[in-house]
Amino acid sequence: MPPLFRPRHNTLAQISLFVVAAGAAGVPLGLMLYARTPYARGMQNPIEQPIQFDHRHHTRDEGIDCRYCHNTVDRSPAASVPQTQLCLNCHAQIWDKSPILEPVRESFFQNKPIKWTRVYQLPEFVYFNHSIHVNKGVGCVSCHGRVDQMAAVEKATPLTMSWCLECHRRPEANIRPVEEVTNMEWQPQGDPEEAGRAQAAKNNVATRTSCTTCHR
Amino acid sequence: MAAPQLDVRDPLEPVALIEGAAGHTDKTINDSLLAHVWRGAGKGWWACFAVALSLLGMLVISISWTLYKGIGTWGNNIPVGWAFGIINFVWWIGIGHAGTLISAILLLFQQKWRTSINRFAEAMTLFAVICALLFPLIHTGRPWFAAYWLLPYPSTNGIWPQFKSPLTWDVFAVSTYFTISLLFWFLGLVPDLAALRDSSQSKMKRTIYGMLAMGFRGSGRHWAEYKWSYVLLAGLSTPLVLSVHTIVSFDFATSVIPGWHTTIFPPYFVAGAVFSGFAMVMTWMIPARRFLGLKHVVTMKHLENMNKIMLVTGMFVSYGYLMEHFIAWYSGDPYEFAQFFYTRMRGPMKGIYWTMIFCNVIVPQIFWSKRWRTSIPVMWFASILINVGMWCERYNIVITSLHRDFIPSKWENYMPTWVDISLFAGTIGLFSTLFLLFLKFIPAVAVTEVKELRHELAHDPTADPVGETH
Amino acid sequence: MSCDDNHEARTKDRAKRRSLPIAGQTSSPKYWRSVEERDRTSPVPGAANEFAGGTFDVAQYGQEDGNGGNSVSRRGFMQVASLSTAMAAVGACTKPAHKIVPFVRRPEEVTPGNPLHFATAYGLDGYASGLLVESHEGRPTKIEGNPAHPQTLGATTSFEQSLTLSVYDDDRAKQIRSGTRPLAWRTFLAETAARTSQLGQNGGAGLRFLISPTTSPFLGDLRKRILDRFPSAKFVSYSSVADDGATDGTKLAFGKPLIARHKVASANVIVSLDADFLGEGNEQTRLSREFAARREPSRQMNRLYVVEPAMTITGAMADHRLRMPGGDVGAFLASLVSMMASRGIAALAPLASLTHGQRHWDPKWLVAVATDLERNRGNSLVIVGRRQPAAVHALAAALNVALGNLGNTVEYATPLTSDPTAGVAPLGTLVQEIAGGGVDTLVITASNPVYGAPVDFKLAKLLERVPNSIYFGLYEDETAAACKTMIPAAHPLESWGDLRATDGTVSIVQPLIAPLWGGIQEADVLAAFVGEGDVGAHALLKKFWKTQGKAPGDFDGTWERWLADGIVPGTAAPAEAGLTVDGQALAQAVAPALGAARQGMEIAFASDPKMYDGRFANSVWLQELPHPITKLTWDNAAMVSEATAKALNLEDGDVVEISYRDRRIDAPILRVPGHADDVVTLPLGYGRTGGEKVAAGIGFNAGELRFSDAPWFDRGVRLEKTERQIKFSITQDHWTMAPDGRETPPPVVSATIAEVLNPHSKFHTEVEDRRPDPEHPQPVIHKPVDYSGQPYKWAMAVDLNKCTGCSACVVACQSENNITTVGKENVRKGREMQWIRIDRYYTGSFEDPEVVTQPLACVHCETAPCEYVCPVNATVHSDEGLNEMVYNRCIGTRYCSNNCPYKVRRFNFLNYINDYSAARELGMNPDVTVRTRGIMEKCTYCVQRIERKRISTRIEGRMIQDGELLTACQQGCPTGAIVFGSLNDSNSKVSQLHADPRRYDLLYEIGTRPRTVYLARVRNPNPELGQPEKAGGHE
Repeated sequence: MPPLFRPRHNTLAQISLFVVAAGAAGVPLGLMLYARTPYARGMQNPIEQPIQFDHRHHTRDEGIDCRYCHNTVDRSPAASVPQTQLCLNCHAQIWDKSPILEPVRESFFQNKPIKWTRVYQLPEFVYFNHSIHVNKGVGCVSCHGRVDQMAAVEKATPLTMSWCLECHRRPEANIRPVEEVTNMEWQPQGDPEEAGRAQAAKNNVATRTSCTTCHR
Repeated sequence: MAAPQLDVRDPLEPVALIEGAAGHTDKTINDSLLAHVWRGAGKGWWACFAVALSLLGMLVISISWTLYKGIGTWGNNIPVGWAFGIINFVWWIGIGHAGTLISAILLLFQQKWRTSINRFAEAMTLFAVICALLFPLIHTGRPWFAAYWLLPYPSTNGIWPQFKSPLTWDVFAVSTYFTISLLFWFLGLVPDLAALRDSSQSKMKRTIYGMLAMGFRGSGRHWAEYKWSYVLLAGLSTPLVLSVHTIVSFDFATSVIPGWHTTIFPPYFVAGAVFSGFAMVMTWMIPARRFLGLKHVVTMKHLENMNKIMLVTGMFVSYGYLMEHFIAWYSGDPYEFAQFFYTRMRGPMKGIYWTMIFCNVIVPQIFWSKRWRTSIPVMWFASILINVGMWCERYNIVITSLHRDFIPSKWENYMPTWVDISLFAGTIGLFSTLFLLFLKFIPAVAVTEVKELRHELAHDPTADPVGETH
Repeated sequence: MSCDDNHEARTKDRAKRRSLPIAGQTSSPKYWRSVEERDRTSPVPGAANEFAGGTFDVAQYGQEDGNGGNSVSRRGFMQVASLSTAMAAVGACTKPAHKIVPFVRRPEEVTPGNPLHFATAYGLDGYASGLLVESHEGRPTKIEGNPAHPQTLGATTSFEQSLTLSVYDDDRAKQIRSGTRPLAWRTFLAETAARTSQLGQNGGAGLRFLISPTTSPFLGDLRKRILDRFPSAKFVSYSSVADDGATDGTKLAFGKPLIARHKVASANVIVSLDADFLGEGNEQTRLSREFAARREPSRQMNRLYVVEPAMTITGAMADHRLRMPGGDVGAFLASLVSMMASRGIAALAPLASLTHGQRHWDPKWLVAVATDLERNRGNSLVIVGRRQPAAVHALAAALNVALGNLGNTVEYATPLTSDPTAGVAPLGTLVQEIAGGGVDTLVITASNPVYGAPVDFKLAKLLERVPNSIYFGLYEDETAAACKTMIPAAHPLESWGDLRATDGTVSIVQPLIAPLWGGIQEADVLAAFVGEGDVGAHALLKKFWKTQGKAPGDFDGTWERWLADGIVPGTAAPAEAGLTVDGQALAQAVAPALGAARQGMEIAFASDPKMYDGRFANSVWLQELPHPITKLTWDNAAMVSEATAKALNLEDGDVVEISYRDRRIDAPILRVPGHADDVVTLPLGYGRTGGEKVAAGIGFNAGELRFSDAPWFDRGVRLEKTERQIKFSITQDHWTMAPDGRETPPPVVSATIAEVLNPHSKFHTEVEDRRPDPEHPQPVIHKPVDYSGQPYKWAMAVDLNKCTGCSACVVACQSENNITTVGKENVRKGREMQWIRIDRYYTGSFEDPEVVTQPLACVHCETAPCEYVCPVNATVHSDEGLNEMVYNRCIGTRYCSNNCPYKVRRFNFLNYINDYSAARELGMNPDVTVRTRGIMEKCTYCVQRIERKRISTRIEGRMIQDGELLTACQQGCPTGAIVFGSLNDSNSKVSQLHADPRRYDLLYEIGTRPRTVYLARVRNPNPELGQPEKAGGHE
């Protein structure tokens, strides 16, 4: 009767054992890494909107302040996407024939809201409040990136909880004079650490990490 | 050279560990013990298997329903947040204790009589722990979350589980216990698997058993490594016997609920676990030895010893009950007092309490008598009663304590639903299914060790053939 | 973040961060973001700014909403509805393409993300309760009382709280129909126009209106104009729980129908005769506040005597309570009056002879009351309940006058309702007219009279005789089924109108949202009969008030102010002066009424604290709200005393056949401590058979036994035990407080005023043993956290001495925190979800117990047992000492609940939100996550309010002031029993209460260090009556 197993089977056995072990360790590890990739966070992915609205043009060429359109950002949890009415404040006069703006006019005259696609989506149990951040000197750019350089807006930050906590535990890095919040190019003077701490004190920043700060 | 007195049937003489050891050779033992593996499945086996499978079916259905609808399908409410789920968990974990105790501790104590029953008990340990593990998983109604939050890993949330919580400790305790028991059991199997490989007829069986045997060829080196690693694992798992149920008991002991908040729980739980574990082994062993023809290796001697252990652990448990009540009175805590002397004894669930007292305190006392200790039917019924009693004990701890705690305005009664009941019945089904499969494909007795024992008894005239001393 | 938890703990309010294009609001009403902002003026509508176009044209609103088709709002609503369903469809793990839907024209006062508060009013039986309604992007989400309103004083009842649920109720009638033929509003107007011209020929002889009692000057004017056009038409007011006894009584006493206005504040002694003035009625909220103000333990503390058949909220607060059949209350009062007369109160002399034979009550009691009243002449008050007949009211009036209480504790004024009485009598005449075939067109705006009217009227059958019957109601209810034409009514929160408070103050009722299902407003229906059905309620209302001369000069400006304030200044009506009682006449008048005692068991009807007369039957909140006394949910029961039950050998839940006169109904028995013997009390409002889905098949209809000559009580009912048994869903069973004699410390502490005022009494040691002692702090394992460094240290104090157990807080909490309901079965299993549990404890005998109610929500222990057992950190402590519950972290082990000694945690055993309608989701509070199954929840101290307030104040660069941040329960509480604030502010109200000598911690002995503490209940018994014995209490 021929032997059932040959020496090579030992190697086979050892390899398979190794594979099992490696898999057990590797798969979770891989998932953890994946969860941190920009892809998994939905970053670096310009979102197409019903209207080809170009932030570059409006903020830089026209120099319109963020708060002209997102005008509840400093008094409400929501920055609010502008009402159609607001677009027409200008576009009733300029580009009022442009085909690009057709949807806007349609929305206004047929009283149909424009349905924008959300770029920054927090889970519904996260209660983020724009007003307090803006009023304490967290710049738009800190979370939304260089919107003034985006043709179509894309998600610039991971929005993971640990990312939020980073700043809530050490806010200094992202605090600036309140009047500079919408400035996309602002840089702290001198040693950022120092300046940040000083500014935070000046703005009376008191970040909290209690759960109910964001989850209610 | 046979020792003739081995076959003497004098009631004053203790019974042998291997009946008719003289007549036996390694071969006969091999054949007799492997026979039930090679023998095709009989009608009886299929009948039992059918029953077990149908119960298993109920388990699948009730689990799916629970996960689909939520815990609302159970009888739980506020205040009774835990009920059958946790009772069954603790009950099964307890049952899972006999195996390790027998294999590890008795091994370290060189108790020869363990050899014929350890395989059996270890298998039951595994299956019991599997049944137990089901409940922590489903009792949140959303297991995908349990897995997601309970295990500590660097998540993108930047926060960790709560290591202060006994439930988190459970995760580690139980999973460790399961892993070690599995290894221990498998290691013990290896030589027998090799024996099966060598005696198997078809190529397929040979291949399968061969792979499982992991190339064990019985060379001196193999034996040496087998031996020391076996002892090593025994050493590893010994503390687990104590740790697992200790930690499980913390789930209750660390809380503030009258009836839970007590320091005696760890030892009392461990004793209870061994108690119920042996009872369960007994319940299955008695039919098994009869139907698998193992009477010559699983002798009255074994059964009697097990009964003695049950008697002892039963006393532990009774002492536990006694102390609970004593402390409740002595501490002067009105809530504790109310819990033990009113709610449990006279409350709406007093039936359960008194059943527990009867089964766990009264019943084991019969084992004082040699006559009953050695009577198969008596010990079999007793073992079943003890299983029931231990389940009632957990019911008392979990539900009776919860349903009436501090503020009377939020007392509620508890009523199990069909899901609760079929979950419980279902796990029994799962257990039986696994167990029957085990009996079908793996030698129920550690053949190697029996052979070894025979050699010891036969070759060493000084050796007490009965293995009383040591 | 896993997509799983994103999916599981999803906020149901999908519109949370979206500006909803519901502009159900005109631009004109001014709003407050908060109470203290009330007086700021907001820009005049359409003031030249870029949003002008976005504002909503008032006239257009009026008209469009007139035909139920307010274009903007309706479409807006549909969009939202479809949107939310779309979102619902989005799977868990795909990256959902969420949409942002901004306004096209944003109403200028709307700041997406910030709620607005609008002042309006609601009238249960005609009289106004001033409300402030919180509105998120045009969706009313929460009701608060209007602090400026003389009746509500900033508080609410559970009825008012439930409005934000009923406005989104999917069961509401949605289609105008004639028979089964759907009608457009304009078609209806056309047909009505045709008919009216016809009716006009004989002066509208066949035209009748059956309306709810109302104080609306505007509707009153419409009614006048209708009567001008149809001189022979008639209006009849009807409410099945009318106060006609009171008005008839004053007629007997003073010669003209008047209503009593009580001022409990200045009463040292209150004798309440079958009057649940703390639990129901037009003055409930104000009287509760005034009563509580006088319960401060001091020599000034008032004393309350209650005489009643069944335990009521007021009875539970009584210092002395005498139980007797409702029919005997009159006799009791008569004896009291004659006794007072015999004590030389001249004015009562003619009434001295009224004294009565039957004296089965304790004479000591009568004497004590008489003496007390005498002692407090001018500062005493006798209140009689709406159930009592005219004679009793008359006697009470005479007594009040004789005691010189007039003007001080009570005053009488002409009723403000368009008809003085709204009871059986006026309805009777109408019924006869119908029977006589004299009625051609009957317009019913009264609430469901077919269900509420006395059975002997057989209204449903009679209505068949009316060729053209038009019903105007919220639901396709019993009356709708009996009428030819059905007009779906606009909800009070969808309507324009006006109402007057008991003191006459006018409030303008303004809509919070355009009619969701094209409901029509009452004004439009009536206006149809003067050919103005298409003008629109708003326009008509404004036109009417323009002509009232209340606003000289800039009317629009003043109008704005009225809407903003919620009251029209200077509209209070003066009380009648110089009232006198003719004793002789009165004596003759009342003598027969108080005639000889009748025999047999008494049948008594009672309006229900949850269903009222059945008009709230479709509210899941109220159905599941535990009855303030019996803690019964989802059912009503025939309530009897222990003795009666024993005599008939009845147990709780035994179904009995109640036979009275020629009628029989089956009802389950419930024994109630403190109930009068030989009386069976039947709560109204259940056993509905209308189209309301929730109400269907719940309880029995006591109205089946209600006859026009005995609307409230009568003798001669029989109870036959049947074989059947039903299981009640009672949230608090009758467990004994010291079960089987266990010696655990009682959860509630109560004492007498004497004990409290005596610093050496055992009461003080009792409470001192149950609160922290700075010298000897309790041992704890961990070093206690020091919160003094924090800006705030939130805490709560509940004064059991003020809590009446009315349960307004429970519903307020439910509304604020999106708390779900679980249904009858699950309540029975012990899975109710209300965060506040009002524990009701009896002490003393089953016959004459003392009652203490204890609202219990999470007490936010500083050393919380729930926290360390949670394996996933889902419940943890905040830096300010809140015991936080993190829904999205919770995996549902229920370990925290097991380990909670107070058992105040609630678990979502099933996915209760599955059966929410899209509409109901709109009513959710967007600041609070809606919990799905498998999640634990509990009181959070309204953390969403804390955080909003924190942020707004931090932006203003200041601290939160004490009293500017109210929890929902605190704001809803009529008595101010609940106080919330920061302990780091030593001057805050809560700090003072924590230092109060009556303060004790529930379960102090466990060492949980609760942040919510209780102040012991104090009673003010009359020494002459001695101490009511405190036997082994039960609960």
